[in-house]
Amino acid sequence: MIRPTEAQTTQWEEKGYLVFEDAIQGDELKRLQNVFDYWAEKCKPAWLDRIEAGEAAASFYDIPDPFDKDEIFVDLIDHPSYYGSLMAFTDDDLILLGPQVRTVPPGPVCYTGWHPDVPQSNPLHIKVQVYVNDVEPESGEFAFVPGSHKPDAGPYSKAQRLAAMPGHKRFPAKAGTAIMFNSYGWHTAMDNHTDTPRKSLILIYEKRTSGRVDPKRFASIAHLCTTPERRKLFCLEE
Amino acid sequence: MTRIDSHLHVFAKVSAEFPREPTPVCPPDREETAEKLLAEMEANGIDQAMLVQTGGTEIKHHAYLLHCLKTYPDRFLGIGLVPPNLSEPEDHMDRLTDGTGIIGFRLSSIGGPRDPFTRINIKEIKTYPIWKHAAEKDYVLWLYPRAIDAHLLQHLIDAFPQVRIVLNHLGICPGKDKFSWDAKGRPRIETVEYNPAFHTTHRLACFENVMMHISGQYAFSNEAYPYRDLARWHQRILDLFGAKRLMWATDFPWILEDPGYGQLTGLLKELLPDLRDDEYDDIMGENAKRFLRFPNRA
Repeated sequence: MIRPTEAQTTQWEEKGYLVFEDAIQGDELKRLQNVFDYWAEKCKPAWLDRIEAGEAAASFYDIPDPFDKDEIFVDLIDHPSYYGSLMAFTDDDLILLGPQVRTVPPGPVCYTGWHPDVPQSNPLHIKVQVYVNDVEPESGEFAFVPGSHKPDAGPYSKAQRLAAMPGHKRFPAKAGTAIMFNSYGWHTAMDNHTDTPRKSLILIYEKRTSGRVDPKRFASIAHLCTTPERRKLFCLEE
Repeated sequence: MTRIDSHLHVFAKVSAEFPREPTPVCPPDREETAEKLLAEMEANGIDQAMLVQTGGTEIKHHAYLLHCLKTYPDRFLGIGLVPPNLSEPEDHMDRLTDGTGIIGFRLSSIGGPRDPFTRINIKEIKTYPIWKHAAEKDYVLWLYPRAIDAHLLQHLIDAFPQVRIVLNHLGICPGKDKFSWDAKGRPRIETVEYNPAFHTTHRLACFENVMMHISGQYAFSNEAYPYRDLARWHQRILDLFGAKRLMWATDFPWILEDPGYGQLTGLLKELLPDLRDDEYDDIMGENAKRFLRFPNRA
């Protein structure tokens, strides 16, 4: 397990994010891209029907139940590129809440605005966003306000153009880059002014607390969780 | 402070003078007149109102709306409709707005690609001529889009920042086969709790030319008045748009039986109890007066 360096730990604590370039690369990245595109295409008609029925937003698209679709989505949850940092920042007491395998269409208005995911009263909540394709500037890249995860930060306003958020940092990057961030912090996806959809995985973790452990949540992939560490991560055992 | 009901409907019995297309809820002999509306407004301290056309899209169908606007020019403004298959809507729009008090048009079908991943050329969107003409003539566009069209709005509004836009009924976009009439003659829109509008129409708050109606709660709520299950939606909309860009409305006459016009004049205090007095005044009328340019009363 690759633990974070002292510099990474300091940045995590001070800024609230870490970037892992080439976290996924080579054949593994190609396989991820192929699997992603295959299932995105296959599941798209049902998503379009749900949009028409008023049951799904047209501004982003998640492949449903990705763990049941392909093992690579499971393998990315405890990927060695960033798993050690996740464990270090949660005192080796990490659980997975879920994955979002997401495609965002181009458009002048992104599907979300600046927001934190959880209040400070929530157990430490961490997301890892893995880019599946190259994400250029102005193409829906992830953005974060460094330091906004701290209890005394802010206040910040929702009601503004994304680009107007003071002090924000944008993360255009190559496919295979993973961005880990503290979800107390204010973040968004930027507007996409290109013709290229943004494809990424958003992996959602939390420091383990008894109220959040649900052994049923990932029971369907228990056969893929053969080590004690994985069974703990996927809430299959205490 | 001016109080304005910013979205409602009136109609007359079907006649040669006032033709309209009857529906099961609005049969030929039903009428919900301007005088009946004015009585409710007077009783509840509401000064002015926006009359939104119902009963047909052709010029002749607007006869009663035009009559009301002419009879009560300092009380009402109007929103018209455009026939859905009119390839050149400009003349229709200009005829209806020529000194009549109609200031804009309501759209429910936008008419673009179903797939949000399709590359959008706004000139290929069916209603593009309406948007373009509205931009040229300073007409207001009154939007109650179908769910399938919600993703198109960002492209059009981005292209026409000069057009004043009003999103109807909390920005909800009805899904296919989710519309019905309830036993009290009210529209009913089946909606999911985590509403897709959070990620489509509500995101349009970033455009300064977009206003949102606080209205239509009866159609979406699963509770009786004051529809407390929608309180979080209201707070969310307030956070996003701010009090200067929201407009209260009743959607008369559908609400006359339940919960009643008077009840709806008190809804803001129920669902947004922390509004400051000036914010309350803005949403209850001052915003509509400014944005829709209501005349001063004689």
